[in-house]
Amino acid sequence: MPFSELYFNVDNGYLEGLVRGFKAGILSQADYLNLVQCETLEDLKLHLQSTDYGSFLANEASPLTVSVIDDKLKEKMVVEFRHMRNQSYEPLSFLLDKEKKPSDLTDPALITLSKPYSFSPHPPLMEAVNIAQTPAELYNAILVDTPLAAFFQDCISEQDLDEMNIEIIRNTLYKAYLEAFYKFCTSLGGTTADTMCPILEFEADRRAFIITINSFGTELSKEDRAKLFPHCGKLYPEGLAQLARADDYEQVKAVAEYYPEYKLLFEGAGSNPGDKTLEDRFFEHEVKLNKLAFLNQFHFSVFYAYVKLKEQECRNIVWIAECIAQRHRAKIDNYIPIF
Amino acid sequence: MESNLSIITYCTRNILICILNIIRFILLTQGWFSIAKARYSMGNKQVSALQYASEMEPLVYVETSVLEGGTAELKCERKENKTEELKSDTIEDIGAKETVSGLRRRINTIQKGVKEEEQETDPQVKTKAESCTPEQRDPLKWFGILVPQNLKQAQSAFKEVITLSAEIASLQSAILATRKEMQAQMKEKQEKTQPEMKKEYL
Repeated sequence: MPFSELYFNVDNGYLEGLVRGFKAGILSQADYLNLVQCETLEDLKLHLQSTDYGSFLANEASPLTVSVIDDKLKEKMVVEFRHMRNQSYEPLSFLLDKEKKPSDLTDPALITLSKPYSFSPHPPLMEAVNIAQTPAELYNAILVDTPLAAFFQDCISEQDLDEMNIEIIRNTLYKAYLEAFYKFCTSLGGTTADTMCPILEFEADRRAFIITINSFGTELSKEDRAKLFPHCGKLYPEGLAQLARADDYEQVKAVAEYYPEYKLLFEGAGSNPGDKTLEDRFFEHEVKLNKLAFLNQFHFSVFYAYVKLKEQECRNIVWIAECIAQRHRAKIDNYIPIF
Repeated sequence: MESNLSIITYCTRNILICILNIIRFILLTQGWFSIAKARYSMGNKQVSALQYASEMEPLVYVETSVLEGGTAELKCERKENKTEELKSDTIEDIGAKETVSGLRRRINTIQKGVKEEEQETDPQVKTKAESCTPEQRDPLKWFGILVPQNLKQAQSAFKEVITLSAEIASLQSAILATRKEMQAQMKEKQEKTQPEMKKEYL
């Protein structure tokens, strides 16, 4: 609707103010320089106390491990997210729900489909998992009531489930989710669409590249691989067709040459000791796109961008913690500074 | 003469074990660092104890045997797929040198991954083959099919560490045996020269 900026604050003003406040607490370059100089994980905990994280590790038993730090970081982010979700109206609440999906997708999907192989399941679903005898029962017991069921319609059938199919199903679900999210954002229109769509297009293209590169040397066939590429990116349709035919890294790089931003990303990456990996370059580009969301006001992308930037911050802190814990400080500066 | 030879063997074995230990340490740190990198791109919970069952069949066995001279010999044996050929040149209990080279030959042939229909009927190896499960699952597949390169690098580093550890352990036992030999020879030498000295005095 016209002049939507005038009406935005009625429903969403508090939350936009809140998320911008949270954004100001994201660790800066100076904070990272402090963290990098820590000698032990206890030092790291001390330095994190002076940031927005505060004493979130105060009640943890020593010795501190990297996985505990990771859990606590995620917990803090989840608390903030839940607060925002609880205060939100449509359409923001719908967007926030969509944003929560990726992490929800992998756990239940994996549990459902790998029951025959007795993986150790996620604790809350333990009882349901023990009762159900087949994946179909699991689906009926757990997933059919969740919003994930819509995505399962396309690809679930009673097929022979092995690791290949689990991987295919997991990626097909993610593709369906991403395309649905993209459609939703374009339907919102306005500044939200202008800022969200480039981010989601990049996500789709990045998944296409990573799936292609990781599938070299595995039993995934080219046709199956092509079915996993999301269609909402810049690579659709030509780039995806070429990627489906690629056999090695050089051919993937050749496909990227046709797209200026991706050409730059591939140029900076390499597998020599001093270079950044391609995935690092993708993360960097993602951070750049997400930062752009904060330049506009009265739109919903700030929420998505905030969550993504917070995830990257968690990754950074966990990376620094791993380098400290393993006493392997050579690559400790490989984190991606955000602000 | 004999004592000189055993001293030389002792020293070279010590140097060799130091070198192997250094290599093993480097490989271990590389392996764990690759896992940290894989966790960075995949997520910490995607590469953790949640991905594997709490009980499982091992893929690599350590076979111990005692050689002449009392030294223990440890060999790593990897479970083969039923369709892969189990080599006939199994390591025999001849001597430390030959077993080490035999082990190296065996590793090379395993890595070439020759697939043949028939199995070797060598009795020692057959018992191992009978205990094979019908499906051999690569532990890499616990984390999915499309795993980043870092995880594959970590797996190969850890595989090398396993075989190296067995070699180091057998070398260690050989060193202890050589040391005992040396000490025995030193004692003999002392006893020989002492009566001669007594003769001179008298």
